[in-house]
Amino acid sequence: MKALFTFTVLVLTYFTANAQHVISGKITDGKGNPLMAANIYLDGTYDGATSGEDGSFSFETAETGNQVLVISFISFEDVRQPIVVESYKAQTFKMRESVNTLDAVVLSAGTFEAGDNAKVNALKPLDIVTTAGSMGDIVSALQTLPGTNTVGESGRLFVRGGEADETQTFIDGIRVAQPYGATANNLPTRGRFSPFLFKGMTFSTGGYSAEYGEALSSVLLLKTIDEPTQNQTDISLMTLGLGLGNTKMWDNSSLSFNLSYINLEPYQELIPQNITWNKPYQSLAGESVYRYKFTSGLLKVYAAFDYADFSINQEDVNFEEPVRTGIDNNNFYTNASYNGMLPNQWVIHTGFSYGYSHNDIGINGVDVKNREHSSHIKLKFKKKITNRFKLSFGSDYFLTDFNEDYNDPNIFSFNSEYNNSISAVYAEADIFFSKDLALKAGWRNSYSEIVDNTTIEPRVSLAYKAGKKGQFSLAYGDFYQTPKQDYLKYYSTPDYEKTSHYIANYMYNNEGKVFRAEAYYKDYKDLIKYDTQSPQYNSTYNNLGEGYAQGVDLFWRDEKSIKNMQYWVSYSFIDSERDYKNYEYQVTPSYIAKHNFSIVTKYWINDLKSQLGVTYSFNSGRPYDNPNESTFMNSQTKAYNNLSLSWAWLLSQQKILFFSVSNVMGSDNVFGYNYANTPNANGQYMRQAITQPADRFFFVGFFWTISTDKKTNQLDNL
Amino acid sequence: MIRLFTALAILVCGIITAQTKYEAGMEKAFALWSEDKPTEAVALFERIGAAEKDNWLPYYYIALANTTEAFTTKDKEKITGLLNKAQEAQDKATMLSPDNAELLVMQAMIHTAWIAYDPMTNGMKLSGIVNQIYEKALKLAPNNPRVVFCKAEFELGGAKYFGTDTAPICEQIKKSLVLFENFEPESPFHPKWGLDRAKAIAATCNEE
Repeated sequence: MKALFTFTVLVLTYFTANAQHVISGKITDGKGNPLMAANIYLDGTYDGATSGEDGSFSFETAETGNQVLVISFISFEDVRQPIVVESYKAQTFKMRESVNTLDAVVLSAGTFEAGDNAKVNALKPLDIVTTAGSMGDIVSALQTLPGTNTVGESGRLFVRGGEADETQTFIDGIRVAQPYGATANNLPTRGRFSPFLFKGMTFSTGGYSAEYGEALSSVLLLKTIDEPTQNQTDISLMTLGLGLGNTKMWDNSSLSFNLSYINLEPYQELIPQNITWNKPYQSLAGESVYRYKFTSGLLKVYAAFDYADFSINQEDVNFEEPVRTGIDNNNFYTNASYNGMLPNQWVIHTGFSYGYSHNDIGINGVDVKNREHSSHIKLKFKKKITNRFKLSFGSDYFLTDFNEDYNDPNIFSFNSEYNNSISAVYAEADIFFSKDLALKAGWRNSYSEIVDNTTIEPRVSLAYKAGKKGQFSLAYGDFYQTPKQDYLKYYSTPDYEKTSHYIANYMYNNEGKVFRAEAYYKDYKDLIKYDTQSPQYNSTYNNLGEGYAQGVDLFWRDEKSIKNMQYWVSYSFIDSERDYKNYEYQVTPSYIAKHNFSIVTKYWINDLKSQLGVTYSFNSGRPYDNPNESTFMNSQTKAYNNLSLSWAWLLSQQKILFFSVSNVMGSDNVFGYNYANTPNANGQYMRQAITQPADRFFFVGFFWTISTDKKTNQLDNL
Repeated sequence: MIRLFTALAILVCGIITAQTKYEAGMEKAFALWSEDKPTEAVALFERIGAAEKDNWLPYYYIALANTTEAFTTKDKEKITGLLNKAQEAQDKATMLSPDNAELLVMQAMIHTAWIAYDPMTNGMKLSGIVNQIYEKALKLAPNNPRVVFCKAEFELGGAKYFGTDTAPICEQIKKSLVLFENFEPESPFHPKWGLDRAKAIAATCNEE
């Protein structure tokens, strides 16, 4: 009897436990269309099914009580629905499209991205450097993008009617106060950073996030490599000098460094120069990145130093004898940044930088010595509250300490200095209303000690996806910048310079083809004005300048239509005028050409194992002021043309021979004119053209990589 | 007494059914896969993975099925979806079983699929990483046939292009054939694929 009882109980328990309940229903997308092949199951059990053509599903389960019904499907957000098995009734589940998919809308107005994480790549990381004529300079490669003005005598980035100092450069989110190498008047400079250590960049020509301030026109964000792939050594032998790079990896850390010595003497001997070099340009530069991987974060320490010196004689219309300029420049920059996960899905990004620059400049016996210490401290938090709502906020602190001694042995000496600190706070939200509509709204407040006033800088951008491949974006933002060093060293009561950006963008992206059109309007207020030939200690300064810039930027990139060939074409039209500096009234400044066009092509010839690069750039003429005419800034230079070629030949997997020539046609480009300060006997002001330092630039290099896998090479970096 | 035995028998059957649920599930998933129903197979592997919290195999097969499908798919958007899904499963599997040679091979295969997807962009970026992964896998399991074969197959492409000697690579492929013959998987559900492809590649090796 006892046995029978046990039996009954056991059997009852057994069968009760195995009693089957039916779970059924239907899966649809947001619009009610059935979704086929979605996976539906009770979490932690084997019970489930795949939805059929009509979106319906049905399966049996022996589970009871509270369970979680999981529905998953590629490119949709998972549904996790708690149910009670016994009381479950068939129902329809609507799935929301994931906003993290490739074809979701992106907030991209104003921005060009190159890198692994960018959903839409206008440029790929290698493009920065495989562009003919760029000579491994990140900035020259960027000048083939729309929205930039090629200013040949400067070599810096001029974006949408802005001066070069209106662009700020950031490495791993931390500001670089002195991004360019030292140079003399009207001689082009280069960016300080070799592309070897960077894995991606974002170049924004306007309307950027509230995370970035103190930039009226543009931000350039460079990201160092997070994790190198292997130990390797890179050796470069070039007509201009030598380079050595090495990467070493350990379990949780790695170190990369890069050293280069450049000496232009052999090149200047071979190629006729338009200026006289007393001492050819030479520089010694080194960069290194150290990375340490914690369980939930990454620390990166970047450091760069460079030393450069040269001496030249430049003809000057105001002097009978050529002007002798000599420069010794020492520059050091370091930054440390940490990116890590905190509990509750918070992400922290923090870091600091310190930069030191020392110049010793001699101009015809006048000695100018200046030094600048600058640093940036940053703290930022980010949280993905849901897939559709992300919040970030943070703060910045910038410090600058500048000191200059001007010493003319015959006349007088003058010391100028300034200290400034800028503190800023910002907050920003990314909201995805759907896969097709997204909004970024941010706010920034900044307080500059020298100005003694707080800015209010709203930033908004909106993106709407129209169809599968196209999207429209709008952006608006207010931007403030403390005036530059040239003024601050003499002007102690400045106000911010200010601009607003209005941007409308259309982008089309179809497998290897990208089209981008952007129209913008910027109005400039409170620009610095002064009343002398150049900004001096005794000039009278005010903030009464103003201006505007408006234009259209077009970009087309295609790497699909022609086999082994990639090309991109940029065209910018700009209409801009400003009344600033010592201008008589509002005119187009001298660095602006109305039409800018460039085409970059890269063709891979398989039989020759070679990549052939051709870059052509054209600018219409730029305005200049001719004092012999009564109207201010009324003349125009002739148009600018530059055709550059490059050839990279893969000798073997790890050896590359590289040839490059810029301005093959030897176009005699004129960037503007210097006029005499006083008229000659005939009442005419004599002039002198500002031209290229040499008509052509030749470069031959041999690049050799030594690595364990015997496969990697430096093609990326050419 | 006999009733008690019956009762015990039923219970034991019940327990056995519960134990073999995993086996039945895996077998069904493999069956679906071989019937050319990868979507259903992957769905079932997902369910098994969700139930067997400590087992890396279901995720391994999700990654494998999606990657294999990506290699034969032409639709670029679909490839991205498949490879993202493969990577997601791969990450889960690696969390459960770090330093696993089979999973390293799987990761290398996902990267190789990305290289095939866009050689211009991903070739330079990922080749080094793939080599690194195979090196690591070889250290962990020098006699795993998939490690030896997949590594050799990846190297073969580069060697052919640059006209370097393929003989040492073919030697490795031949070595993998022997390893395949002698390979004993840990369980019926552990990875054991690859012999057919190794034979096919070895044949092309002999031709040259």
